[in-house]
Amino acid sequence: MRNIIYIVLLFTISSFANNEEAYGVISFPEAEILSKNTTRIPFKLVDHLIVIEAELLNRKGNFIIDTGSETLILNKNHFNGRHSNADLPKQTSGVLDLIDNPLEKRLREFIINDIVIQNTFSDVIDLSHIEISKKMHLLGIIGYDILKDYEIFIDMYLNQITLSKVDAKGEKIDNSKYLEKILDSVNFKLKKHTITIEADVNGKTLNFGLDTAAEFNQLNKRIDKKALKQFFPKRRMQLIGASGKKIEVLAGKLYRVKLTDSIYFGPMQTILTNLNHTNLAFGTQLDGVLGYEFFRQQRTIINYKKEKLYFVKYPLYRQ
Amino acid sequence: MTIKHFYTIIFIFIASIGLTFSQNQKGYTIEGDDVVFTFHRSDYDTLSHDEVGNRISFDDLTVENVVVSGEFNNWSKYNWKMTKINEDTYQLRKPLKKFEGEFTWEFKFVINNEYWAEPTKDASNVADAKGLFGEHLNVYNLKMYPNAYPDANGNVRFRLRGHKNANNVIVAGSFNKWDEHLFKMYKIENGWELKVQIKPGDYEYRFIVDGHWMEDPSNPDKVRNEFDEFNSHLNVGKYATFLLKGYQNANKVILSGSFNDWNETDYIMEKTDKGYWRYRLPLPAGKHHYKFIIDGNWILDPENSVKEYDGKGNVNSVYMVR
Repeated sequence: MRNIIYIVLLFTISSFANNEEAYGVISFPEAEILSKNTTRIPFKLVDHLIVIEAELLNRKGNFIIDTGSETLILNKNHFNGRHSNADLPKQTSGVLDLIDNPLEKRLREFIINDIVIQNTFSDVIDLSHIEISKKMHLLGIIGYDILKDYEIFIDMYLNQITLSKVDAKGEKIDNSKYLEKILDSVNFKLKKHTITIEADVNGKTLNFGLDTAAEFNQLNKRIDKKALKQFFPKRRMQLIGASGKKIEVLAGKLYRVKLTDSIYFGPMQTILTNLNHTNLAFGTQLDGVLGYEFFRQQRTIINYKKEKLYFVKYPLYRQ
Repeated sequence: MTIKHFYTIIFIFIASIGLTFSQNQKGYTIEGDDVVFTFHRSDYDTLSHDEVGNRISFDDLTVENVVVSGEFNNWSKYNWKMTKINEDTYQLRKPLKKFEGEFTWEFKFVINNEYWAEPTKDASNVADAKGLFGEHLNVYNLKMYPNAYPDANGNVRFRLRGHKNANNVIVAGSFNKWDEHLFKMYKIENGWELKVQIKPGDYEYRFIVDGHWMEDPSNPDKVRNEFDEFNSHLNVGKYATFLLKGYQNANKVILSGSFNDWNETDYIMEKTDKGYWRYRLPLPAGKHHYKFIIDGNWILDPENSVKEYDGKGNVNSVYMVR
């Protein structure tokens, strides 16, 4: 019943809206709705990507949660350019690489269950190479544009992401507290759409981007030698970026990454690479990118408005 | 949600000690939390050398030592030295945790820190060996799969009735990244079968009968896939033990949760000698909310720091099956 009301509401809103392309509701069939402004969505890991199930325009499939992506990206493979605005040349940044001239789509309403997000731009890009390499049905990528209005709890222990709508100051509208102990918090700086944090590696302060869709941490070749000593190479491997380009990198482990006195990391799988291209994509100068391994080791809450990360206790509990 | 899915849920029954491994996976077995690499001299006929093009017959060489070399140790010919069990057998044990970061690993055995033991093509876990730049090396590597592997005592049994005249039946799914060759089923009376050990989780799978993909006709639980056909759905669970410390004067302690629709009478916990209340039950993979009822009073699990709100504002303890 509730759904019907929202669908009706949606149609009413869209009829006011200049009759531009009115898009349907995106729904997350697996989500638990805790209140009007808080939703929990279980995710699965496809290799190291955080993937949630969604339904959009009668198509059921997966979305990748990607703080490294500036906008919502729809897969051209499933959403053809019928409504697209092909005349606008634009550069957008993706999971790993630059993608040129995507078609741009405007989503009048983007709804996560009851949560309505208005006037979202989306890029329509061919993501079929991710579908092929990950053997998954991918509808798109949910990026900063959508995520910035929420406090986002990425919980790799319970394999779920909790979205709580925040006001302009970053306070949760629900004002519900977290039930589990928050161990610590750190401030981050938002450079364009990228979360950047300072971390200590072997006594040197490095500037890292935080990217939920980075399957491997990345470390720029050109960082301070003392910090680089904490990287222990193991093998060469090939990576495919969002644009489908292959790059070859040196993979290994990065030791002694420390955020605060209480938040530090065990050895993290990391690749050593030239980050110049990626820096372009992230729109800022980075010494490295922290991704899957970061979230695997820390249950992390992101608040874009407050530019703050919170860390929730990892249970030691064993039944 | 659990009640309606219960009939399709397959539970892990605690793996008995001393798993026997299906014979078609060569070079390693998984025993409990360990990966055991095993080298049988008699399994290999030929050797190769990085600097010499020709194959060498194994009979021309005396084995001094055997080393496991693979992607996990940067193909070192020295580091992972195996222990000699007898003239024919060498073994090396490593914790499974070391391998969980990747879906598959390629490896090989090195004799006398110099000669690669060349697997024959008949083992099901061989892969074309490729160089740093993707070029074919014209030899085979062995592959290992830490998350799911065929096993005679495996926790999931796949069965396909009929298709008597088929030559090749494969089960492929999200547990092995839809590999079209790996999990070969064997013929049984009136059909095909394979037992696989799979980590708890939610998976989709299909059968491939002589190249033709199909859903599992005996599994009513299925989801529409991108080809407008169906994938069969599978939830691999495991046994969970709930413990409550203390409350020794209580008369009755009940376990109640999302797994039994918050039934207040069903799961009566048993008092143990060591000062605990205990209940053991099979649970599907995923998240479960629960509470204890002590003589009518609902409490959270005091030992469990993981708690959540439900949709009505109640707080519950959370148990994760993974």
